[in-house]
Amino acid sequence: MGNYRIMVIDDEKIVGDMAKMSLEQEGYIVETFLNGESALARMKEEKFDIVVTDLKMKGINGMEVLRAIKSHYPETKVIMITAFANLDAAIEAFRGEVHDFFPKPVRINELKASIKRALNK
Amino acid sequence: MVKDFLGYLKSVFGTEKDTAQQLPFKLFFNQFKTVLDSDNQAIEIITDMGEKLGGDYLFDIVYVKRAYKELFDAISGSISNFDMLTQNKYLQLHDVFKNIDSRIRRALSDISPESVEKVIFYEDITWDMYPDVGGKNAGLAELKNFLRVNVPDAFVISTHAFDKFILYNGLKEKIELLHQYSGHDELPLNELRDSIINARIPPDLDIAINAAVEKLRARCEEDCFVAVRSSAEEEDSEFSFAGQFETILNVPPKGNAIMDAYKQVVASLFSVNAVAYQKRFGYNIGKLKMAVGCMVMVDAAASGVIYSTNPSGDRETMIINSIWGLGRPIVEGRTDADYYVVKKSVDPEIIDRKSGQKEFMTVSMKGGGTENIKTPDELRGKLSLNDSQIMDLALQTLLIEKHFRKPQDIEWAIDKDGRIFILQSRQMRIDDRKSNSSKVLPQSADSRPILLKDEGIVVQKGVGAGRVFTLENVEELRNFPRGAILVARHDSSDFVRLMTYVSAIITDIGTPTSHMASLSREFKVPTVVNTGTATKVLKHGQKITLNADDEGNITVYDGIVQELIEHTETNYTGMEDVYEYRKKRYVLRYISPLNLVDPLVDNFTVKGCKTIHDIVRFIHEKSVAELIDIAEHENSKLEMRFAVKLELPIPVGIVVIDIGGGLTFSRSPDDISSGNFLRHRQKKLKSVTFEEITSLPLKSIIKGMMQTGAWNSEIVPLKASDLLTSIMRTSDIVSEGMNNAIYNVAVVSKEYVNLNLRFGYHFIIVDCFCSENARNNHIYFRFVGGGTNIVKRSRRVRFLADILKVYGFNMSIKGDLLIGRIANIGRNEMLKILERLGLLIAYSRQLDAFLHDDSSVERYTKNFIEGNYKR
Repeated sequence: MGNYRIMVIDDEKIVGDMAKMSLEQEGYIVETFLNGESALARMKEEKFDIVVTDLKMKGINGMEVLRAIKSHYPETKVIMITAFANLDAAIEAFRGEVHDFFPKPVRINELKASIKRALNK
Repeated sequence: MVKDFLGYLKSVFGTEKDTAQQLPFKLFFNQFKTVLDSDNQAIEIITDMGEKLGGDYLFDIVYVKRAYKELFDAISGSISNFDMLTQNKYLQLHDVFKNIDSRIRRALSDISPESVEKVIFYEDITWDMYPDVGGKNAGLAELKNFLRVNVPDAFVISTHAFDKFILYNGLKEKIELLHQYSGHDELPLNELRDSIINARIPPDLDIAINAAVEKLRARCEEDCFVAVRSSAEEEDSEFSFAGQFETILNVPPKGNAIMDAYKQVVASLFSVNAVAYQKRFGYNIGKLKMAVGCMVMVDAAASGVIYSTNPSGDRETMIINSIWGLGRPIVEGRTDADYYVVKKSVDPEIIDRKSGQKEFMTVSMKGGGTENIKTPDELRGKLSLNDSQIMDLALQTLLIEKHFRKPQDIEWAIDKDGRIFILQSRQMRIDDRKSNSSKVLPQSADSRPILLKDEGIVVQKGVGAGRVFTLENVEELRNFPRGAILVARHDSSDFVRLMTYVSAIITDIGTPTSHMASLSREFKVPTVVNTGTATKVLKHGQKITLNADDEGNITVYDGIVQELIEHTETNYTGMEDVYEYRKKRYVLRYISPLNLVDPLVDNFTVKGCKTIHDIVRFIHEKSVAELIDIAEHENSKLEMRFAVKLELPIPVGIVVIDIGGGLTFSRSPDDISSGNFLRHRQKKLKSVTFEEITSLPLKSIIKGMMQTGAWNSEIVPLKASDLLTSIMRTSDIVSEGMNNAIYNVAVVSKEYVNLNLRFGYHFIIVDCFCSENARNNHIYFRFVGGGTNIVKRSRRVRFLADILKVYGFNMSIKGDLLIGRIANIGRNEMLKILERLGLLIAYSRQLDAFLHDDSSVERYTKNFIEGNYKR
């Protein structure tokens, strides 16, 4: 699993920092971004296996990130996390072929399990 | 009071007409339940925040703010309900809450304190103040305030004061010139240092320092001298600055002397060496600010340094160096020192000790300052620490390292009375351990004998290993050895005093939302409650290892399973290293910790509330106290029109006032409003039988009272000194009681009882709420008086106390007055206790007359516990 690359996008630094700390311990390579723009720019340079993104962000939001990834990098799996979970958002995300959808706070072990499932598909 | 309260409730709840048909106490009781409900809601949010911010969840500030908003609303509701209940008796609680709330909001909004004090005492330092007090002081204050480690009394002259000092003396420009400092010319540095030494302390800082010195002196046992120490590190700094700045030891406790030392320390920021050091590590010269700690000197018999992790040998060991006198020669590397290697484990083990030739030692001089003297011959080659001191240091070191999650470089001293003080603890620069160990539980653990498996509820996951300490009663907590595992019948917030050094907690009975449970999570103590049998299965002194995992699996192994302990250590999430996480989590400091532990001791006051949890606890306890108080008044006033008599086959007359669901016997509202019942009562009081009691707590008490052998049927052997009482006692138990001005009265609901008993000359109150929610529940028991002389009465109180202790009651005793209380127990267990209490009340009724000597107390206690009720 050592070479899998994961990108975490959240406009709150704490989410990226915590995710990086826990996912790197699993052997993943993790990069964090505070907004969709910089994340998508980075994706042009490097392939990522998993993108964990916040839904509600200033500028390009999580749904737009999902759409951009699905159209340009269909191999990349997207996991959406949001503090503002509601059914509509979840349905829309799943229509957009999100791999998984979690309300925040999300249990880190659940996120790890979801990432493993995504990589095994 | 009751009348006032009724009027008050009427004004709040509606017209007189609305309330006329209700008992005032019923209204009061409903209000009490409302307070408990909002209080419970608050504790649930506190529990949730503790869990979500515990490092196992990804969370963001949106969650923290939302959760806190809910908590704020719950507490606001709780306080206003509480005001109503207590008739605004504790209005200061609003200010306390406001103060805590503003600290929380400050922590949530990333705003640094608006007005940083120029001088701050350690007890007022919180983690977020490191830019104001420097990393070294912040760390020490953390040890003192949170871990309760013994750190000398101290105050800090803040970086804010430093700014003022520099500005006041026009030194800002000189310092700014250094931003471009090349590092070759020493002249500008020397000039700057001279200017600082000759600078004047701004008047307001002068006042503040003098006041702090006076305060420090007032708190000293003797006339204390002060160590003036630099604290310039930034909190997240990788660099220790070890030995770069000045420390002035043994400064006389006078404002001027302290200020001179202060200037010397500040000047050392610009010493040639310190500047070279800063340049080497990429600091902009002149940017660093200096906070200065003024700490009471320890009159050291021995001092030294500990590396909590051996940097050059076995990482599972720590190194202790020690010398006689003050520690300066060690940190300056100027003397040979004693050297000890200690194996780090639950039971630390001294694996090597070498004595050094300590040629000289540094000691404090009488009038101030220090001097080096030749070490007396008999001490020179002698070890400066004994084994028990080494073990004590080792245990404290393990605690500190565990807390900071990083190897620590610790300075310590032992005073002439043998007390250990920690003087500094800073992160060691050491290569991180690379661990390839798997995340999977070591298989080898599975082959160990298992003592308990999957019994109970995990409150805090983790692995804890050590010797079992089986708790019989709370007083034994005083003897609890560091690193042991506490095994107790019930959980209790009294355990807070162990939290920093208990390895794990296992209880027979308990809930994951108790006060103790929040404490376990706060302190990350592996804790399992409700195992049912732990106190029976686990033997006092036995070595065990508890493993409570993420999934709620619980295993208790026989013996110390080293692999498991190591597994957990390497499995450590590292989340504490994430700065943003620590910062956000810090908000819990104002929420979760519990300072108000024992309602029977003095600090249980509004002022004692330092956290939201304290407020919740305070409200709960004081509401219960209020309930008992009001119920007592209610009893004395007796709304007899609602009273019914209990027909019992035992010699005690009790009338019951039902405020809801306490009796199956019921009259229609018509009866009451038309006054039929009242007329009926004037003839003869209506009666109910034992079977008609539906009040759970009352039923249990009466059941206990009715147990065979509970009542003494023989004539009590009285002595002359007891004669007076014997004459006066005649009517109390056999009389109907109804003709007497004093009644035995029970105010009941389905889940509540307040029972007032008067037997001759002793009075008993039992107040109990036993709902389905363990957190709401309490039993309050008060016993006072008696007919015999004070010695015998006190013996009876001792007898009662000894038995109640076994049931887990907390007690306070004054002469022949005993107050016992127990709380946070599930309903079934409560009812069992109440039944025993009923039996005890009956059994002890005339027991004082039998307690001829102290040894009889022990005998009767033993007999009673064993079920032998013979007198």
